[in-house]
Amino acid sequence: MTKLVPASPQLAARWRAEEERRLPADEFEARIRAPMTDDERALIAWFQRRYPTPAARLAAHRRRELERRRQRRG
Amino acid sequence: MQASEFDEAAFFAAIAASGVRALLIGRRALIALGLPVMTSDYDFWIHADDSAAFNAALAPFGLIPNRSPDEARGIGRYALENDEHVDVVVARGVSTIDGLMVQFSDLWPRRQQLQVAPEITVAAPSLDDLILTKRFGARPRDADDIRMLEDLRRGAAGS
Repeated sequence: MTKLVPASPQLAARWRAEEERRLPADEFEARIRAPMTDDERALIAWFQRRYPTPAARLAAHRRRELERRRQRRG
Repeated sequence: MQASEFDEAAFFAAIAASGVRALLIGRRALIALGLPVMTSDYDFWIHADDSAAFNAALAPFGLIPNRSPDEARGIGRYALENDEHVDVVVARGVSTIDGLMVQFSDLWPRRQQLQVAPEITVAAPSLDDLILTKRFGARPRDADDIRMLEDLRRGAAGS
């Protein structure tokens, strides 16, 4: 399995700044109005079929979260 | 660093058993509703008078508040942390980017219960109200989350 290499502190800071920036109102609304793509719909449909209950969904996410943390620790 | 042994079901059970008026918001609520997003923390909006009880319920998990209840009420939010991170909104009302003041007291009666484990439920805002909470910020991911929640709402309306 490929080991994940953490981003540099500078790159991580740039990503965080991008994620936390406040969008102008028109850009925010336009992003909301963008149509869902077929791939997005397919992913959501798969997720809801594979994990049909809130409990199953949260448990699946928890497992992935723990795996990501393990990979970051190396 | 060794990760803490965190039992998510027990965490939700402790909140449910505490009697705290707590609404699961943020991306963890979206996941529970069936949207495949990622998150690394838990977000709750709790009643302004319930922070001491909320902290007490989560103390057995080693979750330490970063502000006192009085400080938290003054600022409107705080966090509980160990290896996990729990963001807590404790303000009585929060304004959306459109200037609409959303009151916890309005959301609470309209809450939905999500079964997160056998015999364990967590309260979350209604779908309409969850969309409102995503209008508190105007970050790219807030827009992305609203987009998916509105699509979920359209699907629910058509069923």
